[in-house]
Amino acid sequence: MEPFILFELADTTYGVRSRFVQQIEMIDDVASVPNAHPAVEGVVLVRGQVIPALNLRTRFGFERIGRDLRSRLVVINNGTRVVGLVVDTAREFLKISTDAITPPPEALTGLSGHYLEGVATIGERMILILNLDAVLDLDYEIEPEISKV
Amino acid sequence: MNNILVVDDSPTMRRMVITSLGSLRRVKSTQAGSGLEAIERLAIEPVDLMVLDLNMPDMHGMEVINFVRKHQAYRDIPIVVLTTKSEESSRTEALAAGANRYLTKTFDPRQLADVVGSLLQTS
Amino acid sequence: MDKPTPDNRGEFFYQFLDDYYAECDEHLVSIRRSLVTLEDDVNTRAIDRTLLDNLFRSFHTLKGISGMVGLAAAEQLAHHLESYLRELREGTVVLSQSGFEALVAGVSLLEATINARRHDQPIPSIDEMVDRLQAISADSVTSEAPASSFTEKPESDATATRWQVEFTPTAELAERGVNVNSIRARLQELGQVVQAKPVVKGAGEIAFEFIVVADVDQTALASLEADGLTFQPAAVEPAPRTREVQATPMIAPASSVRVDLDRLDELMRIVGELVISRTRLEDQVTELKRVTPPAAWRSLQETNATMGRQLRDLRESVMRVRMVQIGEIFERMTFVVRDLARENGKKIIVQLSGGETEIDKFLVERMTDPLMHLVRNAVSHGLETVAAREAQGKRSEGVLSLSAMTVGERIVIKIADDGRGIDRNLVLARAKAAGINHENADIDDNALLNLICTPGLSTRAEADRESGRGVGMDVVKKATEELGGRISLVTRIGEGTTFTIELPLTLAIAEALIVSVNGQRFAVPQSGVSEVLEVESASTKMLENNEIISYRGKVLPLIRLARVFEMNHQRGEKFHVLVVGEETNAVGLAVDRILGQREIVVRAIKDPLAQSRGIAGATELGDQRVVLILDITALRQLAVTSRH
Repeated sequence: MEPFILFELADTTYGVRSRFVQQIEMIDDVASVPNAHPAVEGVVLVRGQVIPALNLRTRFGFERIGRDLRSRLVVINNGTRVVGLVVDTAREFLKISTDAITPPPEALTGLSGHYLEGVATIGERMILILNLDAVLDLDYEIEPEISKV
Repeated sequence: MNNILVVDDSPTMRRMVITSLGSLRRVKSTQAGSGLEAIERLAIEPVDLMVLDLNMPDMHGMEVINFVRKHQAYRDIPIVVLTTKSEESSRTEALAAGANRYLTKTFDPRQLADVVGSLLQTS
Repeated sequence: MDKPTPDNRGEFFYQFLDDYYAECDEHLVSIRRSLVTLEDDVNTRAIDRTLLDNLFRSFHTLKGISGMVGLAAAEQLAHHLESYLRELREGTVVLSQSGFEALVAGVSLLEATINARRHDQPIPSIDEMVDRLQAISADSVTSEAPASSFTEKPESDATATRWQVEFTPTAELAERGVNVNSIRARLQELGQVVQAKPVVKGAGEIAFEFIVVADVDQTALASLEADGLTFQPAAVEPAPRTREVQATPMIAPASSVRVDLDRLDELMRIVGELVISRTRLEDQVTELKRVTPPAAWRSLQETNATMGRQLRDLRESVMRVRMVQIGEIFERMTFVVRDLARENGKKIIVQLSGGETEIDKFLVERMTDPLMHLVRNAVSHGLETVAAREAQGKRSEGVLSLSAMTVGERIVIKIADDGRGIDRNLVLARAKAAGINHENADIDDNALLNLICTPGLSTRAEADRESGRGVGMDVVKKATEELGGRISLVTRIGEGTTFTIELPLTLAIAEALIVSVNGQRFAVPQSGVSEVLEVESASTKMLENNEIISYRGKVLPLIRLARVFEMNHQRGEKFHVLVVGEETNAVGLAVDRILGQREIVVRAIKDPLAQSRGIAGATELGDQRVVLILDITALRQLAVTSRH
């Protein structure tokens, strides 16, 4: 059983291992960085550190929406990198057992499938478990149609 | 409160000596990195005992002993010489010049504390 | 706490390991320095006495403290090195080439032994080295080697005068920092201190007598009187020559403290926070002006200003604590170069300049390995053998030049060789073999550098000892950029190669101009800006695809930040220009408005996702909003490329 942080993006639920989540913040001021990758909204100041704010909608090829009170910045820290993920909302914490996680289905694999580590089925619910390394590696393109479940 | 002057050109060594003396009561310490500094300390503050290295730059420990013993005001300050084994031959010399005890490095912290403690009591 | 017993004596000395390592490091630096100078005196009799004394003393101390912490291998090595030095000092042996090499090897092994303990690795075997050291002590003993054959430091020129200076220490003076060490240091600045001894004065008080040989007159020494010194011309005493008093003591006197770098980091961080708080205070005080009686407000403002000054002083003091001279690394490099040169049968002259340039200790630690790599490369691959050089008509000794200097808020380090240069075609071929295809065969130096720094690419077979170290060019580039610095390359076939590394001087707090471009705020480091102009949009002209304005009778090309940053921008009637660069290199950065000037705490942007050419870092102006800091040099390069 491992704890996960869950967040929503375009009506899909995604999960990240909570040990990689440093904190979850409301999104204040993002300073736009010129000539950065379109998915990078800019930089924010978190705990005295300047970190990139990566818009996951753009990253996954969804249309971008305006920020509202529910938008959140999920700050990921995998030991070497600290990056903030801009998501629609994030407020759930769930323990998931490894048995419940199955490899991503064929339809999702292929070029873009590896950004998903697996799929967790909890009752009626499907949670897509993210492979953070792939998500954070911008050389790795993620196709829009495939990531929508 | 007794003031112990620790004289050695190695800061690590000075720290080791001071820490060894930590078990003694009513004792504080002050440091000097050379013979000249040691004598300056004597001039400026009251010193009740000296732990002295011999092989130092500029002014050899022996010169320090000689100078100190010639001076009325400092003639009776107990001096514990702490020096490396290769200078054992200078043991007689040092004691003759007026050092009270002669210990070699690598020293036993407990022994050093005992020697210093007993010298402070009898002086 | 229990009294230490012989059983747990090991534990007792364990607490001193950090001090031990720190002191060893200091001694090793000094030893290396001395060895470099000593090399010139091999096979001569005229060796500087103080050099030998210093080496002897260092080995002696290292022996002592190594014994105390229980590192027997180091103790033994130091013991044998000390013995050899004793014999050299006494004149019973002459320093031979093999003796010198044994010394050098012995010191390297000593350092390796200490580092092995430091990193919990197996201690290397010292038996062979001990035998070698004993062998050189035994042989080359000359029967007619009187001690007086060693020259002492000659007294300086005839115009110098001998002065006798007397200093009486007191508690009050000591409290002010005036003590025998500080006085000696001051006298050494004036001339050569030939003697220093304690004396007893009439009433029984202690004083110190210095004999100084200096080319100064009465007036120069008069300043000493304020601190209670008296002086008079010294009677000339031809003999006896007392022991030379060595210049600066190698080990810091008892009045210095060893500080953990982490604690200094914390201190810097707190100072950084203070700077931000004060800026906030400044804003609030300004706002109060409307509602405060003038006299009271002025008084408030004055206090605020004083705090600002004090904070600046504090900040500078803290930064100074962290600074070390880059010469320390340079000296290590010289050592390495000599080793390598000898191994590879090359003759190399090392030219150093700017060694006294100070750099933050943290930067030194991070950059030492990368810089060493560049130096090793220069010696192994850049510089040719004597034969090859002579065949080309070059002088037989290769020149490796290491230089450092501060330019504004950065330190610029250059590693240059006059060797064979980097062969583009070779690099392109290897790149191709590694699967990187570069269409344009005529790549410029910077593109070449990028190629060389691609991970996995190497211009030599991996069997090369130097490249097996785990530091490759890609690591050099990465280390530099992580520190907020930049590396560049200039190379010419047959002529040589120069690597230039620019680093920010310290974990930076800098003065900056806050500007607005297309509604977004940016910070521009003030040190790069020589002037600020207000310009009418109508007055700009085009000259060969560049926008220019007239400036001081000359032409100033403009860089439109909005265009460089690919913003959709409408220019107003007026705009501001920041003039950067000197003379013919001057360029104007065009922004919309200048909002003000602030002290900023520079924060690096570490993650590659947010890194962008032209952006040097980010800061926060007290309102929790992030402001990007511009990299002026990069912007100029960027503008040049975007013009073509």
